[in-house]
Formats: sequence, structure tokens, C-alpha cells
Amino acid sequence: MIIPQAKVKHLLYRAGFGTGLQMESWNENALWKKSNDDHLLKVVDKPNLDSDPREMKDRAKEVFEKSRQEIMKVNAAWIDQMARQPDLRERMTLFWHNHFACRTLVPWFAQDLNNQIRLQALGSFSDLLTTVSKHPAMLQFLNNQQNRKDHPNENFAREVMELFTLGRGHYTEDDIKEAARAFTGWGFNFQGNFQFRPRQHDEGVKTFRGRTGNFQGDDIINMILEDPQTSIFITRKLAAFLVSDDGVSESLVKEWSDDFYRSGYRIDRLVRNILGSETFADPQNTGTRIKSPVELLVGILMQTGGKFDDDRSLTFIQRALGQVLFFPPNVSGWPSGKAWIDSSSLAFRLTLPRLLFSGDETDFRVRDEGDVNGLQNDTPGRRRLHCNVDWSLIANRFNKSSKDATLAAIEDFLLSRPLLRENRKWVAQVTDKKTDDKEIVKSGLIAMMSLPEYQMC
Amino acid sequence: MEQLTRRGFLKRSMLATAGTSLIPQFLKAWEGPVDADPDKILVIIQLSGGNDGLNTVVPYRNDIYYKLRPQLGISSEKVLKVSDELGFNPVWGSIQRLYDQGYLTVINNVGYPNPDRSHFRSMDIWQSASGSDQHVTTGWIGRYLDAQCKGCGSHSAIEIDDSLGLAMRGSELNGLALLDPGKLFLATKQPFYKRLSEVQGDEPHIAYLYKTAAETASNAQYIYEKSSVSATTTTFPNSELGKKLKTIAELIRSGMSTKVYYASLSGFDTHVRQGMQQERLLSQYGEAISALVSDLKQSGNLGRTLIMTFSEFGRRATENASGGTDHGTANNLFLMGGALRKSGFLNGVPDLSHLDEEDLVYQIDFRQIYCTILNKWLKADDKSILGESFPLLDFI
Repeated sequence: MIIPQAKVKHLLYRAGFGTGLQMESWNENALWKKSNDDHLLKVVDKPNLDSDPREMKDRAKEVFEKSRQEIMKVNAAWIDQMARQPDLRERMTLFWHNHFACRTLVPWFAQDLNNQIRLQALGSFSDLLTTVSKHPAMLQFLNNQQNRKDHPNENFAREVMELFTLGRGHYTEDDIKEAARAFTGWGFNFQGNFQFRPRQHDEGVKTFRGRTGNFQGDDIINMILEDPQTSIFITRKLAAFLVSDDGVSESLVKEWSDDFYRSGYRIDRLVRNILGSETFADPQNTGTRIKSPVELLVGILMQTGGKFDDDRSLTFIQRALGQVLFFPPNVSGWPSGKAWIDSSSLAFRLTLPRLLFSGDETDFRVRDEGDVNGLQNDTPGRRRLHCNVDWSLIANRFNKSSKDATLAAIEDFLLSRPLLRENRKWVAQVTDKKTDDKEIVKSGLIAMMSLPEYQMC
Repeated sequence: MEQLTRRGFLKRSMLATAGTSLIPQFLKAWEGPVDADPDKILVIIQLSGGNDGLNTVVPYRNDIYYKLRPQLGISSEKVLKVSDELGFNPVWGSIQRLYDQGYLTVINNVGYPNPDRSHFRSMDIWQSASGSDQHVTTGWIGRYLDAQCKGCGSHSAIEIDDSLGLAMRGSELNGLALLDPGKLFLATKQPFYKRLSEVQGDEPHIAYLYKTAAETASNAQYIYEKSSVSATTTTFPNSELGKKLKTIAELIRSGMSTKVYYASLSGFDTHVRQGMQQERLLSQYGEAISALVSDLKQSGNLGRTLIMTFSEFGRRATENASGGTDHGTANNLFLMGGALRKSGFLNGVPDLSHLDEEDLVYQIDFRQIYCTILNKWLKADDKSILGESFPLLDFI
């Protein structure tokens, strides 16, 4: 049995990003706070393009450089937002950002797709799927601009079925070919709006999953949604995200996905079913999930109120840990769980708190993607990732009558699972020589954040 | 893999008996492809960004080449001619010497069906050894570790870098990333890290983290101790790749049981003013690799080492308007070592008269090369690692 307080904490970790510094009065309801327009990212303006961007080729380098900087501004704004408003909507936006993994060189596309996902993150999956599928960022990423009558490009049709809805094994290669024909003509204009181009659309008769007709793109999406397999596929993936990387039993998947399907794909309903279940609350599923790099980073910022001297540190940390928002490795998104951990990523994770708060330097070199227009490596050398924290504020919050009580309060605040006994002893030793209250809190917090326990949620 | 393998045991018993013919057939059958060969080493060098193969190995007799590349084409007087049709980039004198000694095999027209021209996607495909319509989250070397190296520790495959690439990630085992053995050892022998490696987690997921930390510390110590007594006297260039290959040379000298080494050189994405930039990188590569080859030769390791150099794609056959080339498809791939069965050119020249939208058409799937290396060199089960069988090639 989980005691109620631990239950709320578990919920905060899985439906949000953990217990936040500003969260004294937090309870379950805060997670469901209705989102309003303030939550939308507004870093870049909609471009006013009146010509083909390809004509800017002669200044390509300059254009790419600027767009890269702007996408990283959107990236930083989102991380900041998650750390300030660590609610379920942000959490689900992160889930869909991975599910509908997409790369674009147009900063406004990146920001707008993210905002559209945020608005519908807890709404209807049918609407969300349609919005994402018609978004210029996705149409471009999956080459649907090149999908024309007599010259079909199957990439878009394939990924919609394999990764967004049905999953591998639930459609045939012929289904992909026929669906691709139905999606011909789906494109976007230079203003960045969806555009259907009738002259590029294949008006012929298509046979898709046993049905025959003069199908359009929307018909294909509707037929995919009519198949309960879509509900099963989404349910299984969301359950793994919220409950356990190892997944949940197929009988639970069936129970939840039946309800999800009957509700007309209400995401909020599915989420409530999962979070309210006994399986979710099972201690076996508590503190047993390895945080993704972004969850780790957001958690650190949220739990300290930290602000970087230089936003480039945010980029560096995401690259060093292997997850840069808006730059998924491919359309299937980032792998999760143990895949985050290898000898070097783990070592970097464990040193990170000291790099941020103790003034340590790093000469770690991040990987180069090879793309001259991609994220560039700075010149190698030592670097500081200094992050500013108001330690007096934190000391006031956690200072108790005895050092043991202070450390216990920090532990309860920071960790989703108790410290191993030998580690608790070690943390006490680390803070042993400190007499100043602020120093005790600071060194205790950094020590606990440097342990594997802090990698779990 | 320090344990005595069956194969090693057989070899030793062979010495004791008179010869192969005396070994009973049933014992010979044990030497199937699934038994890892403890002697062989694979070194992989990745040229990131898409190296322009046509200006690396130049078809200097082909008029179409000069027509497609009025600015960038390398004139036949400058090319280092090695066959009637092909010659190396002028900065590749060092590679030409390896070619002349029979230490180099060039495979032309290597690629895969439905090529992807995005760097990260195509690199993904090469590192995971997947088809262009598949998404695989493990790498081909990682899956080799999963299949062959249970219980041998992550130093079985070492990437000379600060972080680990997809190629080296398996579903159970990973390779180890280190830029230099001393640096990793220093990091893991700090009291904080040392203490961690003595702790055990109380639950499987967190236990995995503690286990990883402990393995990193023990691997770091093993590698450091081994390599600290194996300094080489060969002069390596002081370039980025030169330093990485020097580390590899010293690790090989140390007699470590590592099967696979991996190093990358970046900067080949030459959309603008390609000439100087590519030549600088190719000459850095040539000098570093010939230092490695001569060091391997000196230490008696060249015969058991195979070096494979690849890039995620070649570049467009037609030059662009900025003195560079854009992303292309099929490319050449280089194999080096002292045990090549066919040195020189393994197959025909790039066909510039049958381009697909200005790009070369591939003839050899890169997975045929992986398959050959896994099967014939590493004596591994290529089919289970790659998910399907590919026709073997005869370069080894």
C-alpha cells in the first residue's frame, strides 16, 4: 500500500515532472489546470514569405544559421515553460512531441506544431491526428509535398500507419501504396498553411484495407481511426509512458483501449483511466522509470528554480545526454528506458549537478551530426554550465531544527524513491563539515541530485 | 573475452597433434560461424557529413565527370592514377602507397535501396544496418555484442569519443565510449564514482544504473592499466583523427580483447567551396590512417586487423553553383588490412551515364559488406544480427 502522500508524489512525477519548488499547495487538481492561450510558445513570428524559400539559396548559410538559433530559442522557451508550469498538459505535449516526431528547418513550423499539439494534448486524438497530419512541418518532413499523381511518395502514408496509428503488421504494402495515392495533393503554401492541390491529386479509385472508393486523404484517416487497433496502439504506448517502460498487461491495454475507442478517442479520459488504476499506484511501478534527459533537466530546473547564465548551456546538456527537443533522431522518436543509459551518458548525468551548481568545468565533447547546417560543435575545450540558484530561498524552505531532519526534508522533496541506506550515510558525511545552514542545504541537495536515485521517477 | 574459447582450445590442441587432418570431424564442426574468432579486430572509421566519393577516387578518363563538374573536376594530370580509369585525389599519396602494397580494397557504388538524403537519417540507416523504411533503435555492432559477447564486458567494442553512437548500442549490451583511457580512468577513480560502483540497487531498474557505473569503473581501470604499458613510438599526426587512431593503435598493441574500435571524422558536408575543405580532410585522413597501418605492421597486428571507412552517403554527381556538391547517394567504401583476399578495386567504376536524378545508382548494398565482415571476419551469426541474409563478398 502506498500512503496517500507518496501517491500524490508518484502522480506528480508521472503526470508532471516531480515535486516543484513552488508547489507547496500542489495537489492532484493542479495537474489538470485548464490551459489557456498563455501556455502557447510565442518566440518566433509567422514568416511573411511571398516567394519560394529555395530562391534564398545564395544566402543559405545565413538563413540556416538564423533558423537554427531561432529553433533553439523555441527549445529554451519550452524547457523554461515545463519547469515553471510542470502540469499534465506539458507532460502530454512532451509525449506527443515524441509520438509525432518531426524535424523542420522553419522555426515557426516547429513552434506552431508544438502549440497545436499543446492545445489538443488532452482533447480528441482524432482531431490531434488530423491537425498534425495536415501541418506543414509534418507534410514537409515526410515528403508529402513530393507525393503527386503518377509520382507517389509513400513516406507520409507509411509513417502515418506504422508510427502514428496502427503499428507495424496491421496493414499491407498495398495499403500504403493506395493510401499514398489518396494523400496526393496534400501540401502547404509559402504562407505555411495547409493546401489541397486538386491538380496533383489522384482522382482514381483506390482499394484500402478491403474497401474501394475514390478516397481522399481524410477518408484514409477516418478509416484508420475506425479500426480499434489504433486505439490499442496509442493506449499501449501511453501506458508505457505513464506506468512502466516494460509496459502493462494486455488485458489492461484492452480494457483501457476499449473505453478510449468508445469515448471517441478522448485522450483526457484515457489518461484518467490510467492514472486512476491500481496498476499505476503499484509500488512496483513507483520510482522505477529512468528519466529522459529532458525530464532530468526540467526536473533540476524546477526543483531549484535555476536559470542559466547562457542558454547555449541548455543546448549543450541536451546534446550531451542525447535528447534535443525538436531534433528527434528519426520519425519514430527517441528510444526510452535503459536506452538512455550507457557508460558515458550515465557519468555525465551524475556529474551534471556539480557542473551546474559547484562551478565544475567539463571538456565533454558532444557528437557532430555531420550536417554543416545542423547544430554546430563549438570549439573543443573546457566549458562552464553555470546555473544561478537562490540558495537562501531553498535553505529557508528546507531548514529544520536538526541536520538529519533537513536532509530528510530534501530527500523527500527531491527523490521519487528513498535513498539507499549507504547513500544516506554518504550524504550525511558530505554535509558533515558544513556549519552554515545554507551550505548544508546546498551540499545535501547537490549530493542527492548526483546519485542514481535522482535519475529515477 | 579473456577466457579460453573452444576455438583457442582447438588451436592449441592442434599444435599438440600432428595437423588438421587428425582432428575428428565432429570437433571441426564446432568451428562454425557462431564461434567468435578471438584473434580478429575490426576498426570502423566514419567520415561524417557525406564524403564526395567522386573527388576521392576520380574517374579521370570519363568525359561525363568533367562535364558534370566544370569547376570541381580534378584534372587527369593531377590525379594519382592507380588504374586505367580511376585515380586518387592528389592529397592521397599516402593512400596510394597502401594501395600499391596490397593493403587497400576499394568498393565502388555502395548504397542501399530508396536512399535517404538526410544526414541524420542516412547515418541512422548505416549505423543500425536497417532498410530505409525501417526504424531500428540498436546498432549493428551493438547487436553483434548482444549475440557474441555475453559476459565479456563493454570493452569488447570501444568508440573513441566522449559519447556513444547508435552503431555501438545493443538491446542488452553497449560498447564503451572513451576519448582517451587516462581521462576515463581519472573520472571513474574519483572517490564519488568509486563509492558508487560498490553500491547495489534495490530494484532492477536502478540496479541497472549501479551495474553500469561499476562496469564503467572496472573497464576504465582494465583499459588504463593495459594501455599504459603499450605506448607506441610511431609518429601520428597531431590532428583530431591522428590522436584517435593513435589511441586505437596503443589499445591494439596492449593486447586487449577488444573486437571492434570506432572513430569518426567530421566536416565532409561540402555544399560550398568544396575543393580546399575536402582536401584538408582527406589529407588528414590519409596521414592518420597510414600511421595506423604502419604501427599495426610494426606491432605484428596488421594481419588480424580490418579497417573499414564509410560515409553516410556520397554527393551529387553534378556540382552546384557554390563550388560545392549537394547530398547524393551511392559512394565508395574503403577496406584496409594485411589479410585482404582481393586488394585494389573489388568492382566496376561508377556509372555516370545512368544517373537517377543526377545521383549514382548503388550496386552493392552496404549490408553485404557488414554481412561479409560479421560472417567471415568476426565469425558471427550475420543473419541474426542483420535480420536477414545478404550475398557475401570475397574481399576477405
